[in-house]
Amino acid sequence: MKDIFLSLEVLFRPRGIRRRDVSLVIMKKKIGNMTGYIMILPVVAIISVFTIYPLFYAIKTSLYEILLARPFLRPYVGYGNYLEVIKSYYFFKSLLNSLVYAAMCVFMVTVVGLGVSLLLNCRYKITNVLRIIIVVPWAIPFVVSGVMWKWIFNSSYGAFNGLLYSLGITDAYVSWLGHPLYAKICLAIAHAWKEIPFAAILFLAVLQTIPRELYDAVRVDGGTSWMAFKYVTLPLIKPVLLVVVIWETVIGFTMFDLVYVMTGGGPGDSTSLISWYTYAETFKFLNLGKGAALSILLALIVLAMIIIYLKVIRVEQVY
Amino acid sequence: MKRYLLILLTGLIIFGSVFFASAQEIELNFLGWSYGVETVRDNIAKFEAKYPNIKVNFTDVSWFDYHDIAVARFLGNTSTDVMYGSDHWLQEWAAAGWLVPLEDYFTKFVEYKKESAPYAIEGMTYNNKLYGLPYYADMVVFLYNKEMIKKAGFENPPKNLSELIEQAKVMKEKGICEYPLALCIGKQEGQSIEIFTSIVYSFKNGNMFDEKLNPLFQKDSGVYEALKFLYDAKNTYKILDPASLIWGEIDLVKSFGAGNHAFTFINKYNLAELNNPGVSKLAGQFSIALFPGETRSCVGFVRFYCMTKMGVNRGKDVVDAIGKFINYFGGKVDGQYNVVRRWSLEKGLGFAQLPLYNDPEVISAINQWGNVEVEEEQAKFARAKQGMTPFYGTWDIFMREQINKALLKDVSIEDALSASTKYWNELKKKYGM
Amino acid sequence: MLTLMHKKHWQKLIVYILSIVVFIFVLGPLVWIFLSSLQGEADLFVVPPNWIPKKITLDNYHYVFTGKIPESYEVKGLIRSRISQEARYIVPTIINSFIIAIFVMLINLAAASLAAYAFSRIKFKGKMPLYIYILTSRLLPAMAIAIPFYFIVNSLNLLDTKFSIISVHCVYTLPFSTWFLTLYFGEIPKDTEDAALVDGCNHYQAFWYVLLPIALPGLSAACAFSFVFSYSDFLFPLLMTQTLKSKTMSVLISSLSNNPDVSYALISVCVVLAVIPLLFIGFFFRNYIIKGMTIIIK
Repeated sequence: MKDIFLSLEVLFRPRGIRRRDVSLVIMKKKIGNMTGYIMILPVVAIISVFTIYPLFYAIKTSLYEILLARPFLRPYVGYGNYLEVIKSYYFFKSLLNSLVYAAMCVFMVTVVGLGVSLLLNCRYKITNVLRIIIVVPWAIPFVVSGVMWKWIFNSSYGAFNGLLYSLGITDAYVSWLGHPLYAKICLAIAHAWKEIPFAAILFLAVLQTIPRELYDAVRVDGGTSWMAFKYVTLPLIKPVLLVVVIWETVIGFTMFDLVYVMTGGGPGDSTSLISWYTYAETFKFLNLGKGAALSILLALIVLAMIIIYLKVIRVEQVY
Repeated sequence: MKRYLLILLTGLIIFGSVFFASAQEIELNFLGWSYGVETVRDNIAKFEAKYPNIKVNFTDVSWFDYHDIAVARFLGNTSTDVMYGSDHWLQEWAAAGWLVPLEDYFTKFVEYKKESAPYAIEGMTYNNKLYGLPYYADMVVFLYNKEMIKKAGFENPPKNLSELIEQAKVMKEKGICEYPLALCIGKQEGQSIEIFTSIVYSFKNGNMFDEKLNPLFQKDSGVYEALKFLYDAKNTYKILDPASLIWGEIDLVKSFGAGNHAFTFINKYNLAELNNPGVSKLAGQFSIALFPGETRSCVGFVRFYCMTKMGVNRGKDVVDAIGKFINYFGGKVDGQYNVVRRWSLEKGLGFAQLPLYNDPEVISAINQWGNVEVEEEQAKFARAKQGMTPFYGTWDIFMREQINKALLKDVSIEDALSASTKYWNELKKKYGM
Repeated sequence: MLTLMHKKHWQKLIVYILSIVVFIFVLGPLVWIFLSSLQGEADLFVVPPNWIPKKITLDNYHYVFTGKIPESYEVKGLIRSRISQEARYIVPTIINSFIIAIFVMLINLAAASLAAYAFSRIKFKGKMPLYIYILTSRLLPAMAIAIPFYFIVNSLNLLDTKFSIISVHCVYTLPFSTWFLTLYFGEIPKDTEDAALVDGCNHYQAFWYVLLPIALPGLSAACAFSFVFSYSDFLFPLLMTQTLKSKTMSVLISSLSNNPDVSYALISVCVVLAVIPLLFIGFFFRNYIIKGMTIIIK
């Protein structure tokens, strides 16, 4: 690869490179331009080919009614699929479910993540050890996390039930994944288990940049730790807090892996998130047009959410 | 000179026959779900021993994902020549052109129809053509725990659903068990609709759809009564285990086998496992009775071996091999339904091939864990599922959700059923039926 | 009024208790799965669970590696022997996942670092719009392009190949790597390369000989991120792989967990085997990863 670059470069290298004059500067700028474009070419090319084309394909598919079990008839329906999706029995319910789930995740990850980072910020031997192992869950895929927690929450033999039973908190095993609300909470716990390290490390990085003098100032003025937290820590970590909130919202809203592995969308449809239906429309209901329409809608919704968030951040920054 | 020629000739013959033989070796790709893998592998080994030039590659996947995985394989043209099928997907896959009628390629298979139970034949037929030979056929039957009934003070199992509720209430009061009734109606469990349909059939005039494929879910229908029964069992009398809504078959059988429940509706072969002293701690306590209800009717279903269009496209040799495979596994070899017989003797799987009921070994094997007379009588009342269409699978998933939601009190029974009716009619229109 | 000493002791106690709770929460599930993989299925189905395993057996691992079906009752299971062949595919699928992740990591290393160099050092027309274009492509939810991608790849007959998965993983890792490395390179002062440029090097030589050696920590972090993403990804392999030619670990694990004929002990074995590379990376690269994350927030 290096040789290709070198040979390309030879084409453009001007003679007498040690002489500094205007033409040389312009030439160098042109080289810079060309080099820049060449250097970013691989990334731009890969991204363009593999996102633009599928997007257009998806839009095209969404305009036709395509049912796999009825292969000979594919009429053009324009926005018909989109209307059907929006009017369907699951659209608003699953949007709501996805938002509730995302909210739960955001809450758990930010609050617990912040707590853990405060813990890690203390200088004790045990927290140093904790810092080493905290990265572990982040490296574990959602699928694996889902499998582990599904086993832990198992209604007949799970460790969680066993723990509650052994400690005498409950006197019978509870079917956690069988209850519409608890199932969502269990999903959120599996999600948070993996994401809390990520948030904690980010928060910790910020916490470590806060100068001690600010805390000392609060203490000198007679403030408690809580006031130190409220007036010193919180404002300074706000930017990172917002980043974590946005990130978790998008990840939680579009979560698919955990649902597939832990609950399959059940019980009823309480954990059927919107991305679950995108999958289901295509592979379970064999309706390709609606599946494509739903995925486009999902992309638009996520885009809208991010724009709203960015606007909020901009306001914050100005403030 | 002559000697050299002889050696050359011998060499050519040997080389030729080896080449010829290996060139004749055919590989079949067989897709199934993961039940009884050791037995399947052993059957395949015996098949390969009988037909040395056929090699079978068996891929097994989860029963819960089987539909999606099969569809993905069809769409992606991943080589699958012969596979398990089920009556509730047949219409969908045959209409999409993914499966082919066995009749068209193996005319002698039609003979088997005469010896098979009607509900099984119905389940393997599309457009009046036979698409498969049975792997196993079974019914959703009524199982109960004899000890628990005795403890509650009853002599016989309940004969209809109200008696069932009464007996369950007594058991709950006496503290014999917390949830006398348990089912596997989890959203992921393919049998949940079969179990529900069985309850529907148990009512007089209980039907899911009429001949014109219109849903019969109105207020006094069998469907309404069935859903109301489940709702009352769970919420009013609290005799139905709430975990039923997320359980698959195995979860239910484990819990039932541990002595946690007295009644269940599940496919018959599980009784063999429950009463097997080698594996079950409470073996002998479980028994089968006719399905409680006015009609004593229940659902009979069939899972079968079928051939794919992909297999056909591979050429005549492959089709022949597939024919041999399907006949070996689902048909008669040397006058005996060997593989089917083995499933029945070893695992208690039900069968649609009626002559096996006259086989003394089979009869005594069944009676070890079950009751042949009850089984045969129940088979007389077993009915195939209704509404088999290319979109039944799609509607099924929606219906499962609605049933669960109604039981969770998310929606009222009327709303759940009217939503289900609406969805069925929409699909019906789309598919031009 | 508590003295300072008392307060410090209380603090230490609370910190220790909370740390232990966090410890259990973070490591508990993994330890539990590991213990489950060493027991027979029958031993797992007890109420309440055996916190310390009563009987340890390696039969499950034996089955996965050699296919020998366990004979003992403890391992074979309660009601129906939950031994599916699927569990035996875990090692080939882990290898597949590994190979795919390595390729993705290498492509990321090459393409993203090059692009990051350009974005952070070179002025050229249209730099900002291109940068934003690359970043926003990351915002597309995977589900939106996954299904059309599936059909496109299918029509090209590239389904069930590692190549298609590597390509789509690159699409999802390159924007992040580019952005991350751009930030990272931005932290490194330009003077070092300017000296080289003045001495007659072109941009490529400056990049290769000067910047890369200094930037190794950041590059390691980018490698770790892209490897972990690719190895853990589930949605794309789910749609695009069918056979062991290209099936990945995540698809197999989810398939096993949904398979009623696979005992939880077997699933645990597969989970344990699957996370070993990840634990390895998480442990050895943790400093780079943490440093990397701190750069992001700046």
